[in-house]
Amino acid sequence: MAVALPAFVASHRGSWDSLEALLTRQREGTLTLEELRTLDTLYRRAASDLAHAQTFYPGTDAHRFLNQLCARAYAAIYQPPRERWASVRAFFRREFPQTLRRELRYVGASAALFILGLLLGALVVLWEPRGAELLVPAGVRQYVAQGRMWTDDILSVAPPNSVSSGIATNNLTVTILTFAMGLFYGLGTVFILVNNGVQIGAIAALCAREGMLGRLMDFISAHGPVELSVIVIAGGAGLMVGQSLIDPGELPRGQALALRGREAVKLVLGCAPFLALIGVVEGYVSPGDLFPTWAKAALGLALGGLFWGYLLRAGSAEAETVPEVRAS
Amino acid sequence: MSTASTPHLAVATPERVALSLPVAGIGYRCLAWLVDASLLFFFWVVAYFVFTLLVSDVLGVFQGLSGAGQTLLVVGIFATQWLYWTLGEVFFHGQTPGKRALRIRVVRLDGSPVGLYESAVRNLCRAVDFLPGVYAAGCISMLLTPQHRRLGDLLAGTVLVREERIDLDKYTATRAPEAGAPGPKATRALTPDEVELVLAFLTRAPGLHADVRRRMGTKLVEKLGGLTSEEQVTVLASAEATEAFLRAHVQVER
Repeated sequence: MAVALPAFVASHRGSWDSLEALLTRQREGTLTLEELRTLDTLYRRAASDLAHAQTFYPGTDAHRFLNQLCARAYAAIYQPPRERWASVRAFFRREFPQTLRRELRYVGASAALFILGLLLGALVVLWEPRGAELLVPAGVRQYVAQGRMWTDDILSVAPPNSVSSGIATNNLTVTILTFAMGLFYGLGTVFILVNNGVQIGAIAALCAREGMLGRLMDFISAHGPVELSVIVIAGGAGLMVGQSLIDPGELPRGQALALRGREAVKLVLGCAPFLALIGVVEGYVSPGDLFPTWAKAALGLALGGLFWGYLLRAGSAEAETVPEVRAS
Repeated sequence: MSTASTPHLAVATPERVALSLPVAGIGYRCLAWLVDASLLFFFWVVAYFVFTLLVSDVLGVFQGLSGAGQTLLVVGIFATQWLYWTLGEVFFHGQTPGKRALRIRVVRLDGSPVGLYESAVRNLCRAVDFLPGVYAAGCISMLLTPQHRRLGDLLAGTVLVREERIDLDKYTATRAPEAGAPGPKATRALTPDEVELVLAFLTRAPGLHADVRRRMGTKLVEKLGGLTSEEQVTVLASAEATEAFLRAHVQVER
């Protein structure tokens, strides 16, 4: 026979209140070991009270109160392991490159899409010069028409440092968008990849027609390899997300998305520092005549080589771990 | 009174009790975002004014910085926009200041607190949820998913839960027994729902309009029943007598 609700509350309220007080102190981090044991006991007691309330007093405020109290205590007691700097190091030494190697198919698909866009853009402009009016931004067209590089003015307007920071933030935004647009069933990622490819291809073709290809190469050779790689990798991550939505396998879509998303996000987070680094190169080295073209090209090739060398080799000495599904 | 119609996050604990956490809907989330956004906005306004008070030539100082310093500064400002959300959620138990003001909290789907990873993911996806403007994509996603999650939440496996402020005093504060009122006798036991109803009425009664107070009291007395007609007249004579009767009725239950 159930006790009446007010009596139930009155007789247990003391232990609930002390559990609440302990939880507040736990949050502040001022618990002694003894209090921690009390907290555990009190939590178990509250959990059984909650079970009682669920059966006999469903839908009452007492039930909801207990529910919330237990949720707080549950969150305090069953905490996930904390991420620390060691795990950040392990991430860059092993996990990021390993994940990338495991998902190389998607990165490949992403690169293929990008190159497809590149070829399309270039072919359209080469065959039909007026296509440039559609595909190349008006600002860039004006510069090319005057036989100048639009990048020449970047330096004269602003000092190289602010250019570099502006470029770094812009690149971060593009990368994040390329990845996150994958949430629209991958279509957003495909669009951004092809669109970027078309634009770059069109600009390159336009420059080639005007005989400025050399100067374009001069500008992009230092940062291009790494920057385009990063965007392609982010595109691969976006495609992974899209694929998990289109074909979730045996899981519900939501779960498949969370599971695959975990892997995909690793790729994006891993790329972030390289992107910031290449922003510096793009701001300092690429524009202007401070460095000869061959030095820029050599730097670009070296950076690209290092980047891919790192991605394809790092952490491979250790046995590849099975993709861990973090128990939750 | 019942919360069965509002969406919940069900969590199974090792103690074999099912927790069900009320999920924060789109209204709560928008309000919390507004609070956070205005905090950020005012932070930058104040920071800018303080800076201009200290140095007259803002652009000059900026150009005077060394190259690396300048880069760091701009990248830092950019990062603040992300870090604000993520650090708030990681270090303050899933609550940015705005969420704290609205008493909502980010948790994982199993009810445990968010870590760095989840928080970073859901906040990186803000960029997409914002598309094509004013969080349109996020809002559509929140309206379509049963637990009101935006795209970033779906990817990170997180959900926002609401914390309710529940006052248990109403159960224990009804101690003062009053003499004079006809005591309830030989009544049936009240169901928890009825106790809840009477207690809720008693808590709110002092703030009600006199007519409403009288009418609802009468309804409750009639619902509880078990009175002869003369007794009922005495009980219903004044609002105070009605409430004293109801209070005594609930007290018998303890």
